[in-house]
Amino acid sequence: QDLASLVADRVRVEGNARLVAEGDVEILFRDTRLTAPRIVYDREIDRIDITGPIVIHDGGSTLVLADAASLDADLRNGVLLSARLVLDRQLQLAATQVARLDGRYTELLDSVASSCEICAANPTPSWEIRARRIVHDQEERLLYFQDATFRLFGVPIAYFPRLRLPDPTRDRVTGLLIPRVRSTSQLGTGLKFPVFVTLGDHADITLTPYLSSSTSTLEGVYRQSLRFGDVIVEGAASNDDLVTDDLRWYLFAEGVFDLPRGFRLEFDVEEVSDRTYLIDYDYSEQDRLATEIEIVRARRDEFVSASLANFETLRDSEIPIRDQLPSLYGQFELEHRVPVGRGEMRIRLDAAILDREADADQIGRDVTRIGFSAEYGRGFVLPSGLVGRHTIGFDADSYEVDNDTRFEGTSGRITPSISTELRWPLARSGPGGTRQLLEPVIRVGWADSSGDPVPNEDSVLVEFDEGNLFSLSRFPGDDRIEEGLRANIGLGYTVIASSGWSSNLTVGRILRPDDATEFPRGTGLDAPRSDWLTAVQIDLGERLDVTSRALFDDGFSLSKSEARIAYADSSLSLESGYLWLEEEPRDNRPFDTHEVSLDGALRLSRHWTGTFGTRYDFNQDRSARAALGLEYRSECLIVDLSLSRRFTSTDTLEPTTSVGFGLRLAGIGDTRSDESYRKTCNG
Amino acid sequence: QETAIDFGGLRQDTTQPVEVASDALEVNQSDGTATFSGNVVVSQGAMRLSAGRITAIYAGEASAGRIRELRAEEGVTLVAGEDAAEAQSAVYDIDEGSVVMTGDVLLTQGPTALSSERLVIDLVNGTGSLEGRVRTIFETGER
Amino acid sequence: CGFSPVYGPGGAAEGLYGQIAVAPPRDEPGYLFVRHLEERLGLPDAPLYRLDAEIALDETGLGVTPDQEITRIQIAGEATYTLTDLATGAVLQSGEARSFTSYSAPVFSEQRNSIAGNAVTVRAAESDAVERLMTILGDQIVSRLLATAPDWR
Repeated sequence: QDLASLVADRVRVEGNARLVAEGDVEILFRDTRLTAPRIVYDREIDRIDITGPIVIHDGGSTLVLADAASLDADLRNGVLLSARLVLDRQLQLAATQVARLDGRYTELLDSVASSCEICAANPTPSWEIRARRIVHDQEERLLYFQDATFRLFGVPIAYFPRLRLPDPTRDRVTGLLIPRVRSTSQLGTGLKFPVFVTLGDHADITLTPYLSSSTSTLEGVYRQSLRFGDVIVEGAASNDDLVTDDLRWYLFAEGVFDLPRGFRLEFDVEEVSDRTYLIDYDYSEQDRLATEIEIVRARRDEFVSASLANFETLRDSEIPIRDQLPSLYGQFELEHRVPVGRGEMRIRLDAAILDREADADQIGRDVTRIGFSAEYGRGFVLPSGLVGRHTIGFDADSYEVDNDTRFEGTSGRITPSISTELRWPLARSGPGGTRQLLEPVIRVGWADSSGDPVPNEDSVLVEFDEGNLFSLSRFPGDDRIEEGLRANIGLGYTVIASSGWSSNLTVGRILRPDDATEFPRGTGLDAPRSDWLTAVQIDLGERLDVTSRALFDDGFSLSKSEARIAYADSSLSLESGYLWLEEEPRDNRPFDTHEVSLDGALRLSRHWTGTFGTRYDFNQDRSARAALGLEYRSECLIVDLSLSRRFTSTDTLEPTTSVGFGLRLAGIGDTRSDESYRKTCNG
Repeated sequence: QETAIDFGGLRQDTTQPVEVASDALEVNQSDGTATFSGNVVVSQGAMRLSAGRITAIYAGEASAGRIRELRAEEGVTLVAGEDAAEAQSAVYDIDEGSVVMTGDVLLTQGPTALSSERLVIDLVNGTGSLEGRVRTIFETGER
Repeated sequence: CGFSPVYGPGGAAEGLYGQIAVAPPRDEPGYLFVRHLEERLGLPDAPLYRLDAEIALDETGLGVTPDQEITRIQIAGEATYTLTDLATGAVLQSGEARSFTSYSAPVFSEQRNSIAGNAVTVRAAESDAVERLMTILGDQIVSRLLATAPDWR
């Protein structure tokens, strides 16, 4: 026996069984709350007759509105007339008659379900499902439809004798997802029918058959989360008209696991059957595959990492010389920072192993390297406000080289180094509370390698920017160390306005007594006086952020210029990248690279959003990629239309145009649009 | 808007004699009232009205004629058959046959209990109505 | 011209060197970021403030050849930082530092002149680009802390 409580303005007891309550009547039973203007409770037959408007909150996410109702006293069973069920403030089910069974099932007869806002002006909702019978299972949070017709803008589109949909509060339930259309010039127009299957609470799989005039494909994504990690495996298998004789497939697997004592294990598997499969099906733009495993731990004073990777190229030009590319690459790195006196000793142990399948001289070179380095650094502040840092250290590497007669079997190299950096940060407060900082910086460094010549596998692609303007060695890897005496000079200027915008400018250059021929020409670092490095960054609060960088010599001829612009306000967001790289044949860059990319989204109106993206190649004087998208989004419907064209032309890859059309119902399952997209009736 | 509570038990003949018992009695000739205090119990037929203090107002002069009205204070309990009502104070107008109870009213009828601010009982046709945020607890039968 | 040394006598950051402790890292970029900030702010011996930062990286491909090969990658980085007073726990200063670095992945082909562009060279260039980005973001935060020192110290 459970107690229900009733509160009302006036109560009248008739006989010792009938109780009539009027005026803001409220009945509370367990977590169900019912409010109505008048109810009559008859204890003999344990029935409550209620005159509307009735509102029933079930404590969870279900709300029931009705004009009249007759329920048993614990509100669990009974019939409501011209009732409306609102699930999670999203999905509305209306019916002339609604029956509640055991507080779990709600049955609606000749009912309409929709999550669309219905306006008096045009009463047909964007979509609705009319059904002879709908049963809502509150415990399983599922909706069962019988004889259901799906109507889009009032037009009947599909009929389902039986249909089962998750209610809005349920996000993981096995079932069919909304199909998507994909049409490309290569594969024709096809349909994707995704099916989502939950495997327990911690794993699920999405299988998507993709059928078109020229392909039959099965795609799959398997996700598994464990107590100590996660695994995602995705893949597909197809036979299509593009590669007729055999099966085309790809497999990408990714796992991250937390190991004891703070270590983390990551693995990545990437395999594909043939070169253009990923691009033909838009699975990935990757042109190189890496299958690798890594163990890593990062602490404040220690970093440890060990990894083993296998590379495979998909690039058309690299296929013929595949065996000359590194196929196996192992790396180990341990750096420890030990406080010593007022400074810090950095001990570093690193090793690398590289193997090429080819064995011919030079082109089949295999290398094993072990390195040890120690550097003591001490920072200090002088009374004049100068802040500086001394470093002294040495680096020792030994190499084991096979298949390359230019290097003996075993060779070694010792490189002592010493440096002093001085900074003099000066501050000023400008008008209106703007804060300014001017910081001249100079770092004088010296290093000298002695020992045998060693191969260069990892220090080939050198960049010069504010990130290594003051580094002791600007080579990216360990196979090369910047030698000789040099002075890195720079000036940084930062201004921060109280209104929120800020900007900083960095200018720098490297001065040497003689050439640094080990640096490739295009880096701007090879001459005794390096190229000027200038970098400007402007940040207007959340809205605009511009970062640009340029390298030019004394004659102001540019060797590199890059910029990134990001703009966002309530209706427009833009992201653009600009790139100009002077040609550098020694670096396998046979001609200049000159390109701009622009991606943006513009909220055209309350419901319509346009997206666009393009990449223009100035050298080829045409755009490499152009994409347009249009999305209609309301509180109950998301329709997206996308058109993209890729202008590539090689013997195996021709320009492709792909058109995508997708329609998703919001308010069913957990797809949801934020309130700013909700249709307003006067609109 | 008057609503009636069916007081099966309280259909009373208000013409029956009224007996009042109490620890102490104080008669006030000037305004024709008598004040009973200390465990005062008024009985009329099957009805019992008890309170900490009851002031009786007589039709004629005090303690001789017929009681016209009873004013009960300091915690009042009215019992009739299986129904019982408690409140802070009550006024029993015998001529009209009506009892008005006010202040933390609690009416219990068998298993059902109702609380409110004000309860008006009409003894002639045995009904009563509660007003002012009435609150009741009732058992939902899993019969 | 109104500029005065920040660390100098009477400067807004006088004595600040070594007073800011940087929150420990969780991954490699974080390790490089913390190491660089401790170089710039001084190893904390009696810290009065704590600097926390959340770093987000995002790569975009550029320099796409007609053969659909991506030859230049820009890594955009954003470090959202807060400086808290260790004694009171109050947030003294917060903001975002944003910048980008890039690395090349040139086309490696038969008629090549160097091994530039093979997977090992690109991988080394990528991790160096991340390290440089951590240096730039760290420097930007230090410059802002020094410039706005009068407001929070």
